[in-house]
Amino acid sequence: MNETPAIETERLTKRYGSHRGIEDVSFEVRAGEVFGFLGPNGAGKTTTIRTLLDLIHPTSGSARIFGLDSRRDSVAIRARLGNLPGDFGFGREASGREAVRLLARLRGVDGGGRAEELAERFRADLDRPLGQLSRGNRQKIGLILAAFHRPELLILDEPTGGLDPLMQEEFLALVAEERERGCAVFLSSHELDEVQRVCDRVGIVRGGRLIAVERIADLLGKARRRFTVELRDPAGLERLRELPGVADLELAGGRATFTAGDLDPVVRELAGHHVVDLEATHPSLEEVFLGYYDEGEAAS
Amino acid sequence: MTAQLGALVATHLSDRRRSVLAWGLPLGLMSAFIVAIFPSVEDSISKAVQGYPQGLKEAFGIGQLSNVEQYLQAEMLSLIVPLAMGYLAVRAIASGLTGAAESGRLDVLLSAPVSRARVVAAGFLATAAELALVLLVTALLTGLGSVLAGSGLDAGRAAEGFANVWPLALLFAGCGAIAAGFSLRTSVVTGSVAGLLVAMYVIDLAGRLDPSLSDLRYVSVFKYYGNAIEDGIEPLAFLGVTLAACALAAVGAWLFERRDLAA
Repeated sequence: MNETPAIETERLTKRYGSHRGIEDVSFEVRAGEVFGFLGPNGAGKTTTIRTLLDLIHPTSGSARIFGLDSRRDSVAIRARLGNLPGDFGFGREASGREAVRLLARLRGVDGGGRAEELAERFRADLDRPLGQLSRGNRQKIGLILAAFHRPELLILDEPTGGLDPLMQEEFLALVAEERERGCAVFLSSHELDEVQRVCDRVGIVRGGRLIAVERIADLLGKARRRFTVELRDPAGLERLRELPGVADLELAGGRATFTAGDLDPVVRELAGHHVVDLEATHPSLEEVFLGYYDEGEAAS
Repeated sequence: MTAQLGALVATHLSDRRRSVLAWGLPLGLMSAFIVAIFPSVEDSISKAVQGYPQGLKEAFGIGQLSNVEQYLQAEMLSLIVPLAMGYLAVRAIASGLTGAAESGRLDVLLSAPVSRARVVAAGFLATAAELALVLLVTALLTGLGSVLAGSGLDAGRAAEGFANVWPLALLFAGCGAIAAGFSLRTSVVTGSVAGLLVAMYVIDLAGRLDPSLSDLRYVSVFKYYGNAIEDGIEPLAFLGVTLAACALAAVGAWLFERRDLAA
């Protein structure tokens, strides 16, 4: 396994005059890892990606891709990666095939066979002018252009925008295959379901700052679980309110619903009662994500 | 490297293939019309020109209009063709830089191992080729008009007249590359350089009309344009303006490398 991280940023900062771009963003994406980069519009996802690609220059901090400096070695880096821009476009008149041909020549590869294979898989029309394609069909061409040369790193900015559910499934399968091949994938998205399904780790960006980087399982494991409990003697439910870590307690008809971070005190308390029903659910990534944002808003 | 440059230039030219006819046909047909009617208007034009004020004749480079070459120079090559080609030049290079940025194509190109300087160089070279093709179409149609009307246009001198427009127009492509180093909006780039084109023409005109302003002409590329259809191409001016255009494009590439390509 290659030990050099596919992406490594160190306090990466980009400001536009007095406007915030990103601030002190530090993270690492390992080879063969699918890393989700989460945040709502305007959080700084695209700014981070454009800085990694040397399309915009950082105000301070640094980014290294394959161990190479993202600014000084930009051309060498781009030979080894594939990128799908957030708002993919290639002009109105060129066809997908012409775009593939040009990119193949610029990369010095053949890649025609792989492009055909991907086009068939995504049911993409390589022969129609891009201006005549729907957004989803253009996005398929963008995905083909990003992946046809079998890069070592895929940077995908909102990749499934406009894709129908069937093609979204196909996309997730492709990402899984690329990971199997050893390709690192940096995937910016606000489609939390797809991130949960395919990513190994996620970074959550808020207001230009990276506020969390976690394995998905850890993120969900750490998150507060939601419990629904029914006791034979509903009077016992009131005592739950006094347990450490219990919050959002609601009592109705002999049932209690609440959230708790630590399971142990809840289990100990319930052990002293006759439990009729107990249900514990992990929050979805969406709930975790929204939790981070709620905390941020409360703090500000 | 050469393969990359070749691929980018070929794509740029392919994207703008319609422009060769869209600009070459009207300019060529207009020039053809001018040379075609010359035999029938020759006498009346000569008499009319004799009555023009001397300053006006000097300003527009009109000496005698006693042959078709002089008439073509006065009607087309002194004003219309240089201004049109200068404007085409900035439109062409802007389409490869700011136009590509606006359409999203630039982001895709720069996902490949291509330097921004190479993208600018390709845009400049493609513009140079496009200008040459448009001038060729214009010259061929002009020659055809002369043959059909029996105007007796000297093909060699006419070719020199049209070829002499090429470095002048290319200079504005260089200016366009510099403008793209400051703004990624096509309207800003074309507007500012078109303004410069007209300003240079007006400065040169003012310098010719008023001897006290003649030193101002040195800042205008039109000073070095001359009258190639009558006097032949001035090699030093041709080469000097071409080199200046290349130098401007190089500065543009340097600026383009350093700027942010914001979303």
